Amino acid sequence: MEIYYIIIFSLGYLAIAFEHPLKINKTASALLTGVLCWALYASVTSDNHVVNTQLGEHLGKISQILFFLLGAMTIVELVDAYQGFRIITDKITTKNVVKLLWIVCWVTFFLSAILDNLTSSIVMVSLIRKLIPNKSMRMFFAGMIVIAANAGGAWTPIGDVTTTMLWIGGQISTVNIIETLIIPSIFCMLIPLLYLTFTLKGTLGEAKTGHTSEHGGEKDRNSYIMLFLGVGALVFVPIFKTLTHLPPYVGMLLGLSVIWIVSEIINPHADEALRKPYTAAGALQRIDTSSVLFFLGILLAVSALESLTILHHFAEWLDSTVGNQGIIITLIGILSALIDNVPLVAASMGMYSLDIYPQNHFIWEYLAYCAGTGGSILIIGSAAGVAVMGMEKIDFIWYIKRISFIALIGYFSGCGLYLLMYHFLG
Amino acid sequence: MDIYYIILFVGGYLAIALEHPLKINKTASALLTGVFCWTVYALASHNSLEVNTQLGEHLGNISQILFFLLGAMTIVELVDSYQGFRIITDKIRTKNVVKLLWIICWVTFFLSSILDNLTTSIVMISLIRKLIPNKDMRMFFAGMIVIAANAGGAWTPIGDVTTTMLWIGGQISTFNIMKILILPSIFCMLIPLLYLTFTLKGTLDDTNTEQSIESGSKKDLNSYVMLFFGVGALVFVPIFKTVTHLPPYIGMLMGLGVLWVVSEIINPHADEALRKPYTAAGALQRVDTSSVLFFLGILLAVSALESLSILHHFAEWLDRTVGNQGIIVTLIGILSALIDNVPLVAASMGMYSMDIYPQNHFIWEYLAYCAGTGGSILIIGSAAGVAVMGMEKIDFIWYVKRISFIALLGYFSGCGLYILMYQLIG
Repeated sequence: MEIYYIIIFSLGYLAIAFEHPLKINKTASALLTGVLCWALYASVTSDNHVVNTQLGEHLGKISQILFFLLGAMTIVELVDAYQGFRIITDKITTKNVVKLLWIVCWVTFFLSAILDNLTSSIVMVSLIRKLIPNKSMRMFFAGMIVIAANAGGAWTPIGDVTTTMLWIGGQISTVNIIETLIIPSIFCMLIPLLYLTFTLKGTLGEAKTGHTSEHGGEKDRNSYIMLFLGVGALVFVPIFKTLTHLPPYVGMLLGLSVIWIVSEIINPHADEALRKPYTAAGALQRIDTSSVLFFLGILLAVSALESLTILHHFAEWLDSTVGNQGIIITLIGILSALIDNVPLVAASMGMYSLDIYPQNHFIWEYLAYCAGTGGSILIIGSAAGVAVMGMEKIDFIWYIKRISFIALIGYFSGCGLYLLMYHFLG
Repeated sequence: MDIYYIILFVGGYLAIALEHPLKINKTASALLTGVFCWTVYALASHNSLEVNTQLGEHLGNISQILFFLLGAMTIVELVDSYQGFRIITDKIRTKNVVKLLWIICWVTFFLSSILDNLTTSIVMISLIRKLIPNKDMRMFFAGMIVIAANAGGAWTPIGDVTTTMLWIGGQISTFNIMKILILPSIFCMLIPLLYLTFTLKGTLDDTNTEQSIESGSKKDLNSYVMLFFGVGALVFVPIFKTVTHLPPYIGMLMGLGVLWVVSEIINPHADEALRKPYTAAGALQRVDTSSVLFFLGILLAVSALESLSILHHFAEWLDRTVGNQGIIVTLIGILSALIDNVPLVAASMGMYSMDIYPQNHFIWEYLAYCAGTGGSILIIGSAAGVAVMGMEKIDFIWYVKRISFIALLGYFSGCGLYILMYQLIG
C-alpha cells in the first residue's frame, strides 16, 4: 500500500520541480499532491475518526507556520510600502560586488540568529531587490542568503524551527547549543562565501538613483517609524514567546495588528483609494498569497506520509542498513533538502528516546546542525529557500546548477568541523 | 477575572463596529482582540501547556474555516476573471427591481441549501455586482442575500456549519430536519422579501452593455469551461466529504487545485505578465486576504472566551434565569447575531446531554433553525454577513438601520411557524 503514496508524492514532487516546462504553477501541484495523499489515506482506512484526528492535529501545526509566514510577509511588505528599508539600503552605497556579498551574508547570518530564517531571508531579499537591479547577479545573492539564513538559524534556539523543536523538547540547552554550533555554522556559510568571492563575475547593474532625491521630511519620518516598528515587531516575537509561552504566530499577529493601526494613523492620505497602498490591507494584496498555499500543500503531503509512518519506516530502515549514527544524521541533513526538516526532526525525536540519549548528547547537537543547514542544498529544502524561490522566481534547476554544489561543500565543512571539535573537546 | 476578558472582548467589539469613525481597519482590531484575550489568559494561567493545547485545538478548527474560505473566494474570483458569471448574468435581463430581487433571493436560498452559506453569498454578491451598478440599491440586495443564504442553509445538513455540527453529532437526522425546517426557513426569508417588495424604491441603473459585445467565441468557450469547473468544484465539496469523510476544506483545496491546473491549460496568453490575471495566482492577489485575517482574529477571541468557559457560564446562567427551553433557544438564535454561532451551538451541544434529549428532540431541531437564521439580525452575526460586509463594504450601522428589523421579523415568523407546527403536528 505504501508504494501508492510514494508514487503520488514523487509525481507531485516532479511536477513541482518541473513547474516551468509543464507550465503548471507549483502551488496547484502541491495542493493536489497534499489533498490526494489524504484522500487516498481516508478512502482505504476503515477508521475515519483516526484519520480526521491526525489531519486536525497536523493542520493546527501547519497553520501556525502559515499564519506566522503571512504575518511576517505583510509586516515586511508594509515597511517596504513606506520605503522603510531604504534607510538601510541608502547606507550601503558600495558598488563592489564582493564587498556587498560579504555585508549581505553576515547581516543575514546574524539577523537569522535572532529572527527566524524565513523572515530574515524575506527582509534580505527585499533589500537586495533595491540594491541589485541586475537579475542574474541577484540570483547568486539570493542563493547565498538562503545558505546564510539557514546557517545563522541553526546555532540559536530561536533562530530555526528545528533547533527550537529540540530546545522545547529538552534535547538541547540554550548556552550549550550556542557554544558548540556557532563555529560549525559560520563555516557552513563561510566556505561558499569564499568560493563565490573568487569566482563570481559581473556587475550589480545601474540602480535607479532618481527616486532618492524625492523624499521630503514628513515621508522620511514615516519611513523611520515604520522601519523601527516593523523590525521591533519581528524582534518582539521571540520575546513575546518567552513571556507568554504562546506559539510564535500569536506574537507575529500582535505585531501585525499594532503596525497596522500605526499605519492607519500615520497614513499620509485621507482619500480611501490613495490610503490603500499604505495600509496593511493593501500590503496583504501585494504579498504572494499563493506561496502560503504552496506551503499548505507541501506540508499536508508530508504530514500524510508522517501519519502513515512511512517516514518512520524509512528512518528505521536507515538505522538497520547504515548503523553509524554520525552517518545517519549527516544523511538526515542531506535528506532534509528533499523533504521538510520539521517532520524529519520530529521523527528523529520520536525514534531516539531521551532516556538513552540524554540532553546535549552528540546526536541532538549534531541533528540541530544538520537539519538546520542541510536544507540549503536544494532550494525547496528549507522554508527560507521556498520563500526566496517564490519572491525571486528562482528556478529549481538553476539552483541545482549554481548553488547546490557550494552549499554541499559548506554543509560538509561544518559537519567536519563539528565532528573534529566533538572528538577533541567533547 | 472573567470580567477582564469581557471588557477586552466588548472593547474590541466596539472598535470593529465603529471601524469607520475610528478609521482603524476592523481586521487590525479583530486580530488585536483575539491576541490580547489569549495573551491575558496565558499570562494569568499557571499551566501554559494546557493553554497551548487549547489554542492548538482551536487553531486547527479555525484554520479549516479559513482555508475553506480562501479556497472558495479564489475559485469564485478565478471564474469571474474568465467572465464565467456573465453566462448567468446575461440570462437575467430583467430591469425590474422587484422581479430581480425575487429571482436573486430564491436562487440564493436553494443554492445555499447545497453549498455553504459563505460560498453562496460570495457567488451571489459577485453576480449582483455585475447586474446592479447602483451602489445604494445593491446594498439592499446584499442584505437580502445574507438573510436568504442563512435561511437556505438552516434546513439541510450540508447547508450550514451549525446544522452540519448537529447532524454529525447525531442530534438530528437528514430527512427529518429537512421535512420539519423547510417551511420555517422559507418563511424566514419570505417575510423580509415581501416587506421589501412593497417598500423598496429605486432603480438598478444602466449596466455597461458595451463590454458584452466584445466577447468572441474562443473567449466564450473558456467562460463556459471555467463556470462549469468552478461550480462543479463547489458542488463537489459535500460529495467529497461524504465519500472520504475528510473535512470540507480538503475538498475545496482539491477543487482549487484542479481549477488552477485547468486555468493554466486554457489560459489564452503565453506571455507571463499577460497570463497572471487569468491564473489562480492572480486571483489570489485580488482576493480580500484581510477578511481571512479578520475571521482569524474574531474566531481566536471567541475561542479564548470558550476555553475560559465564559460562554458556558453564560449558557448556564440563562438556564437558571429563563428556564423555558423554547425561549432560551430563541435567545441563543438572537445571541448568535452577536457572537459566532459555531461556539454557541458547540456549547449547547455540551450543555444538553443526548441521554435526556434524544435525536430529533424539539431543542435540537429548533436550535438548528435558530442558530442558523438568527445570525442575519446583525451583519457580523454570520459567516455570510461578514463576507458580504468585506466584499460590499457594508457598514455595521447601515445594516442595523436598514436590514436588522426585517431580518428580526423574518426570524420570528419562522420561529412562530416552527412552534405552531410542533404543537399541531409533532
